[in-house]
Amino acid sequence: MTLLELESVTASYGPVQVLDGVSLSVPEGGAVGILGANGAGKTTTLRAISGTVRAGGRILFDGSDIRGKRPDQVAALGIAHVPEGRGTFGALTVRENLRVGAYLRRDRKQIESDIDFLLELFPNLEERFKSNASALSGGEQQMLAVGRAFMAKPRLLLLDEASLGLAPSTAKTVYDAIAELRRESGIAMLVVEQNANLAFRLVDSATVLETGRSVLSGTSAELRGMDEIRRAYLGG
Amino acid sequence: MKRKKNVRLTGAIALISAVAVSLTGCGGRDDDSSGGARGASTGITDTTVTLGVTTPLSGATAGPGTCTVAGLKAYFGAVNAKGGVKFGDGKTRKVEIKAQDDAYDPQKAKSNYDQLKGSVFAMTSGLGTPTNRAYREAAIADKVPQVLVMTGDPIFSDTKESPEQLGFVPTYVNEGEAFGKLLAASGQDHKVAILSQNDDYGQGYVEGFKKGVEGASNISIVKELTYEATDTSVDAQITQLAGTHADVVFNAMSITPLAIASLQKAQQLNWKPSWFLPSNTSSPKAILEPGKAMAYPGVYSVSFAKAPQSPAFAGDEDVKTFLSDLKQYADYPDMPAFPHCMWSYMVGATLDQAFQKMKEPTREGFMKSLRDIKDFTAPLMLEGTSVDTTVDGQPAVSSVVVQKYNGTGYATVENFG
Amino acid sequence: MSLATGLLSRAWVRWAITAVVVVVLFVLPLQLDEYTNQNLARIGVFAVAVLGLNVVMGYTGQVSLGQIFFVGAGAYVTGYGASHDWNIVLVFVASVLVPGVIGLLVALAAARLGGLAIAMVTIALPIVGVPFAKRLSDFTGGSQGMSSAFSNAPGWTGLYNDQWQLYIVLVVGGAVFLLIRNLVRGKYGRAFAIVKDNEAVAASMGISPYRYKVLAFTVASLIGGASGFLYMAVIQFTSPETMSFGHSITLLASMVIGGAASILGSLLGGAYYVLVPQWSNDIDPNLTELLQGALLLLTLLLLPGGLATLPRVLARTLRRTRTPDPSERRQTPSAPPAPGRASVEETPTVGGIPAQSPTERQEQA
Repeated sequence: MTLLELESVTASYGPVQVLDGVSLSVPEGGAVGILGANGAGKTTTLRAISGTVRAGGRILFDGSDIRGKRPDQVAALGIAHVPEGRGTFGALTVRENLRVGAYLRRDRKQIESDIDFLLELFPNLEERFKSNASALSGGEQQMLAVGRAFMAKPRLLLLDEASLGLAPSTAKTVYDAIAELRRESGIAMLVVEQNANLAFRLVDSATVLETGRSVLSGTSAELRGMDEIRRAYLGG
Repeated sequence: MKRKKNVRLTGAIALISAVAVSLTGCGGRDDDSSGGARGASTGITDTTVTLGVTTPLSGATAGPGTCTVAGLKAYFGAVNAKGGVKFGDGKTRKVEIKAQDDAYDPQKAKSNYDQLKGSVFAMTSGLGTPTNRAYREAAIADKVPQVLVMTGDPIFSDTKESPEQLGFVPTYVNEGEAFGKLLAASGQDHKVAILSQNDDYGQGYVEGFKKGVEGASNISIVKELTYEATDTSVDAQITQLAGTHADVVFNAMSITPLAIASLQKAQQLNWKPSWFLPSNTSSPKAILEPGKAMAYPGVYSVSFAKAPQSPAFAGDEDVKTFLSDLKQYADYPDMPAFPHCMWSYMVGATLDQAFQKMKEPTREGFMKSLRDIKDFTAPLMLEGTSVDTTVDGQPAVSSVVVQKYNGTGYATVENFG
Repeated sequence: MSLATGLLSRAWVRWAITAVVVVVLFVLPLQLDEYTNQNLARIGVFAVAVLGLNVVMGYTGQVSLGQIFFVGAGAYVTGYGASHDWNIVLVFVASVLVPGVIGLLVALAAARLGGLAIAMVTIALPIVGVPFAKRLSDFTGGSQGMSSAFSNAPGWTGLYNDQWQLYIVLVVGGAVFLLIRNLVRGKYGRAFAIVKDNEAVAASMGISPYRYKVLAFTVASLIGGASGFLYMAVIQFTSPETMSFGHSITLLASMVIGGAASILGSLLGGAYYVLVPQWSNDIDPNLTELLQGALLLLTLLLLPGGLATLPRVLARTLRRTRTPDPSERRQTPSAPPAPGRASVEETPTVGGIPAQSPTERQEQA
């Protein structure tokens, strides 16, 4: 079952065409990576899906086209976006940040048990449960941002460059934690990542973007085996 | 987190309340709030009387507002220096003035009044219709005189509506009427075009003018147009009026740039009628010179005060005393930029008259003697004008003389033309 | 300090304090003199206006320069209704709803534009409002304004007018403050804060920034209307000058001075709006603008978070004076806890002597 399907999606910032035919699909419960160099259009692809950028082509979620919907409407459909730079609320505590994620939900009791579930998965957060988000380390903030998105009970999670600004070892920890979350919750994920090695800790397959176009896709194993991929995105 | 905030807020409120209670002390209300001499009203003792002023001393109307205090201080400064005013009850009192800034905000004017009323004998001289209106009803309820205030609003001169009030300056109707009468008396036929601001200001002038020309067969009003106070151009109206070839324009306009523009536009259209301009938009320097008014056969306005800057009054004794009092007692060393300086000086002289006649040091006694001044020529008044407080429905000064522009200033005229 | 806080956090203590406060607020108008009552009532009027501004600006982060327009509109509706002998409840409801509907319509158009556009639109409100009020003289009384004595104390109460008016302010203002306090502490308040902090993230959580901006703006206009009702009850007069643009700026300054996004700050903002012009008048009526400007700057420099943060700042200073932070002590191990010294961190001292000699400082510079 395909959950999300992009067909020749285009997008531009003013006169600058950023996406020029991106096609990919995410199966129900699957995790797909978007790889590519700086400026290839990875982040814009996520923005096109979440409705913060006007897009052309077709974006099918659960069979219906969601292009032209406002970001909050897209979110209400069950797509949670963890934007680049995390956007956690520094003045709120970890707990309050998680509550914000559950903003649209009405099932109070379930929210509490979801928070417990999340804290079991992310023990670092449990330790800092009552501190303000601004006091957290970069890695912890990233986990908090993911956790907040998870609290919305989405069917699809859009994850943008979770490793940004993190030390390599921290980035690995973060990715492993997210992979754990995926296994436990079964949420489908679309993951933008520049460092393909990191991405492969989480995703089953990936699409490679070059100047706004999908040029290649395959399973993790297939892509790992390709020379040019290794050279361009795997550091050797 | 939440609870902590609660605690803080409750604590703070409790603290504030406690402080408030302890500061004010206890005990009910003390009703006879008067101090000073036995039987006397608030604000008057055997040696002093205190006047309150609320007027704009900051903001857009600060210039004229400052003048409403300066003239009053100048007048009573000079009187106090000579010992004070000899009241009708035989006592000599010095006059103190408490002036406060209301920035032309009705709310602040009311607040100033609330503060002042406990210590002043009467409110006076303040500038502004909304600001004076803001505390008019309170002054009536408290029986605090609010007299000789600077507003053309006729309600202040209606004894039934406003028992504790009296306006000082002529109403818009008075001004329009004076010009209408002069025009009607010319004996010649005149076609008049009217342009007026679409509010009570413009309507008052037009009403007065029509009253002045009532029944005069030699005057025909050929066209009447209005504009909004927010308009930035009246070129269209002037062009339309020029089409009538009227020989007189009655221009009831309160906006300086528009007054200049209308004088210029008519010349552009080669239309050269005589003009009437209201007293507050007829300044030679600010309006007539840039408007090149000498191109017209005549530009008329009305006035009741001698203009100190006019060469005609350079040697006038009144003017010389006024200017030196202004400098010495009111800390106003410049040539007054607004007529309100002269007006409030006259307010001082009028109050002086009322004080001299009042038999008892009470507000009732004061109102009685204030309403009984007739044919009083205050210093700086032009010939042909006087203070008359005895006519119900009219401000203290309702007589104005029509003046004609002569290239430098204004000179009183008896006849049109 | 900690003992007091401990006591305060017990439920019955808080109930008792609340009861005392209510009783005090009830008795106070009877005990105070007329001028103080009038001033307290005025503070209430503008505290409510500042509270409205706080909802849209302080809590939701949308610049609004038009709050005074809604106050003026509420005052006019009140004056009109009262002079046509409407039922007082109807007058109040209309004075709140009419500005609220205007606010809603403006917000629906302006919030879509986003960014500074909403600020620009709100600037237009008082600028259009003043000539509009002059023009609609059948409804507003034109430039001569409109007065109404509907809030004079009824005979059966045996109260003075100022006492009765203060009660009106306490009841209406108190209700508005309670409602808004609950609003901003609850789900809506959280949404406002999130929209203020990061619109993109808000949207990604399913919180429509547009909808919440419109909501905040509408609530601010409703409260502005309530403030206008109180304005008419206390000042008993309104005119086009009531809603002049400058007053909107003063309201904004009062909000910042009192404390943005703070309930207590709104109260203090109202006090600032009313009391500071009076103080400056007492000092020198010719220098009011200058004095007010100077005070504004001084407050912002000393308390950038507004007067509402004063207790916190004082507490911090006190704590620092009494028991220096362990970390600070580590830096200057030999420094004795000097009693009465205002701030330890300002000049680190060694045994009362500045830790650095003047020459050392020069070298550094």
